[in-house]
Amino acid sequence: MTTALRDFIRNPTAAELELVARYGMQPEDARRERAFLAFAETGLPHRRMEAWKWSDFRASLKSLDRPKQAAIPDPLPHDGALVFRFTPSGFAYPKTLPSGISMLAKREVQAFSSAEDLPLGALTAALAGSDSKPATLLFEISGRDLPRLHFVFEGAGEASFSRVVFLLRPNAELVVTESHLGGVGMASALSEFTLEAGAKLTRTIYQRSGPEDAIGIASTLTLDAGAAVTQTTLAFGAKVSRLETRVVHRQPGAHLTLNAAYLAGKGFHADITSHVRHGAPECVTRQLTKGAVLDGGTGVFQGKFLVPRITGQHTDADMQHQVLLLEDGAQVFAKPELEIYADDVQCAHGNTSGALDDAQLFYLRQRGIPERQARGMLTEAFIAEALETADETVRDVMLAEAQDWLAS
Amino acid sequence: MDCCGGTTEHDEDCGEVQVKDSIDAKTVDAAKALESENYSAGFSTTIETDFAPKGLSEETIRYISAAKNEPEWLLEWRLKAYERWLTMEEPTWAMVRYPKIDYQAYYYYAAPKAGAKYASIDDVPKEILETYEKLGIPLREAEVLLGVEGAVETAAEAREKPRVAVDAVFDSVSVATTFRAELKKAGVIFMSISEAVHEYPDLVKKYLGSVVPQSDNFFATLNSAVFSDGTFVYIPKGVRCPMELSTYFRMNAENTGQFERTLIIADEAAHVSYLEGCTAPVRDENQLHAAVVELVALDDAEIKYSTVQNWWPGDEDGNGGIFNFVTKRGDCRGDRSKISWTQVETGSAVTWKYPSCILRGDDSVGEFYSIAVTNGRQQADTGTKMIHLGKRTKSRIISKGISAGRSNNTYRGLVSVNRKADKARNFTQCDSLLIGQNCGAHTIPYVENRRADAQLEHEATTTKLSDDQLFYARQRGIPEEDAVALLVNGFVRDVLQHLPMEFAVEAQSLLKVSLEGSVG
Repeated sequence: MTTALRDFIRNPTAAELELVARYGMQPEDARRERAFLAFAETGLPHRRMEAWKWSDFRASLKSLDRPKQAAIPDPLPHDGALVFRFTPSGFAYPKTLPSGISMLAKREVQAFSSAEDLPLGALTAALAGSDSKPATLLFEISGRDLPRLHFVFEGAGEASFSRVVFLLRPNAELVVTESHLGGVGMASALSEFTLEAGAKLTRTIYQRSGPEDAIGIASTLTLDAGAAVTQTTLAFGAKVSRLETRVVHRQPGAHLTLNAAYLAGKGFHADITSHVRHGAPECVTRQLTKGAVLDGGTGVFQGKFLVPRITGQHTDADMQHQVLLLEDGAQVFAKPELEIYADDVQCAHGNTSGALDDAQLFYLRQRGIPERQARGMLTEAFIAEALETADETVRDVMLAEAQDWLAS
Repeated sequence: MDCCGGTTEHDEDCGEVQVKDSIDAKTVDAAKALESENYSAGFSTTIETDFAPKGLSEETIRYISAAKNEPEWLLEWRLKAYERWLTMEEPTWAMVRYPKIDYQAYYYYAAPKAGAKYASIDDVPKEILETYEKLGIPLREAEVLLGVEGAVETAAEAREKPRVAVDAVFDSVSVATTFRAELKKAGVIFMSISEAVHEYPDLVKKYLGSVVPQSDNFFATLNSAVFSDGTFVYIPKGVRCPMELSTYFRMNAENTGQFERTLIIADEAAHVSYLEGCTAPVRDENQLHAAVVELVALDDAEIKYSTVQNWWPGDEDGNGGIFNFVTKRGDCRGDRSKISWTQVETGSAVTWKYPSCILRGDDSVGEFYSIAVTNGRQQADTGTKMIHLGKRTKSRIISKGISAGRSNNTYRGLVSVNRKADKARNFTQCDSLLIGQNCGAHTIPYVENRRADAQLEHEATTTKLSDDQLFYARQRGIPEEDAVALLVNGFVRDVLQHLPMEFAVEAQSLLKVSLEGSVG
């Protein structure tokens, strides 16, 4: 290594120096180095970067400290699921796995091709792994009717980096649920999914943490012919949080449903960002993001559909972002973006933000429902639409969590 | 010539792009009519011209200032901007690609040798009058007609006879301003900004740079340092300007940049409609146009600003054409004021332009209506910013983008609601259409909401054809397909109906445009 460690990042903050030091303690590995250099290009993402203008990790995360608040108890059921648990230093997993699921815990870093696009993903690829934790956890899925895989990211510490890579063989079907529960100064997870022809993935993500945590959840999804993904997220945000999903429709006829709901209270920041590339004809994307934000909370939605020339023909894509600002002092930033180079496509996008509909409120009150309750009912119904696609084993819990938050 | 492998009858079909069926044939024709080979304003005028020394330096700025006999404060102002500009970097965030601009390769000032401003229209050199006539702006006739009919005595009479007062800017100087005396009767000041600096220094000093500060952005700062001519308009309290005002910009000299500066002030309860047209000759080199337009609307005032931008777009291979990097901003400073931007963008090789409204006064209103058509290898990154600061402010954005050939057309817009902007409202609707497989259409809206009681909507209307309207049309016996076409065709008219009558000719060809088959 020719570069002195401290020279990796220009004018580093205390947190960035700590990250560089952590990198220095990792075993030498060319792929690890490439990933870290991609991150070091900018350091922790900040507001002067176009894609991060509303989610400034550098400013929010001055140093890596252990937060006062411990991890949130996991509300998602563990019954009937194979549970994998990542903590800042450890990794726990079931001793036996059914046929159709094979797992490989690697000490080496696997190459990460989206490093330039996902700086937090690149950081995770570079820093994941320790004596008791794999640098890359690989899954190969080749069956159907498999038990649900449940991943828990939690624990107490300054920082935690975890990386999981999935390969779904043709026609395989998998249900994945994830709980990102905080308790760590900076928790960053990277998940990569490749779906071969006809494979099907249902992924449900629950994210909640204390107000001092910084959370990064970066994912890539690659879909082959006829593959289908349904991803549903419920996020409560953190001091600063970013849930970023990059999807590539690589072969014709793939189908993606990308739903998310975010609920941001005082002092919380929730960022839902996605990038979908329609790199093959006749692929479908349905994206619905709903949000509710209170006084002192910040919601961010950034969505992008990229439809390349020729290969993107007959794309059918729809992006909707709708958010309620429940109190004065709430703020929401949105950028629903389309970049289209193919002429025979359907791409729609919509973005609304505002207060509850007075007419609906009046209707309920006129039926004798007190205002507070009426507001709760309407907000609940509004948010619930985005959570309907969650896996049935966790859907009710997700809805109940959203309800509880709205009621309090 | 036998690329179709057929008879000569097929020859004209060769090279035609495949257009998907749902796109209206007239739309394709209308876009084609705007291709560079049909550019009718591409002639150049031979006239002796004075240039500033080539390149940009403090010396150039002093030359410009001296040529215009400017007061010391303005020279200082320019030099301060230049100093700042040297420290700035050219922005790269727009979705446009162009070769690096050599700022030392341009002339920053070019004026017809015969002098800048002429005492009467008779003194304007014949070549220049002819140039404007060819472009459909008969400066002399307008004045002569006025003479024949007799001067109109009152503002009210003037309103009944709709006419347009024109400020003609040729390269770096204003050569003629018509109907000035007429306007003066109503108290309206309409002159080139170079004259206003001398005649109304207090007004200019008060408002210049108050909407677009010297150091606003790279191109605005460049403009502040080297701006040449432009139009100054002041409408006094309570006056409804008796006629349409307009400026016609013509870039003629080679290797020249045009840096005009327009300043329009509508005092309390004043009302003005202003038109702007731009053309340039066909040249192989890229020419630079970096203008700044500042609008100020005080209490209850209304400004309507319309542009038909038809700078030379470059040939179909992307040679030549104007780089159009413009900063336009309106400040609704007073309560209940209103600023409305309407633009038809068909020219320029590269466009970087975001006419914006700062809605500072309570109950102020901002509007933006735009049609941008790109052909050949044109690139347009255009849109608006609506900054809601005052209470109950409203804004509306209607943007239609049509891309053909190998062009790229981007809508980029910001709607920002400040914490104190009670009950702000915005409605945005942007549609884009691709004609052929080699172009691109992009939409990048930014929405920043800091108010719970704000109502912001952004829609792509193609997905939301009103059922009520459809039902109404069908119930009147119009078949469903025709009814849909009828309603969708209405799209572009949204914008065109906001163009003043004077642009009817330009608008005529665009009326054939429909957004049927639009992609989102």
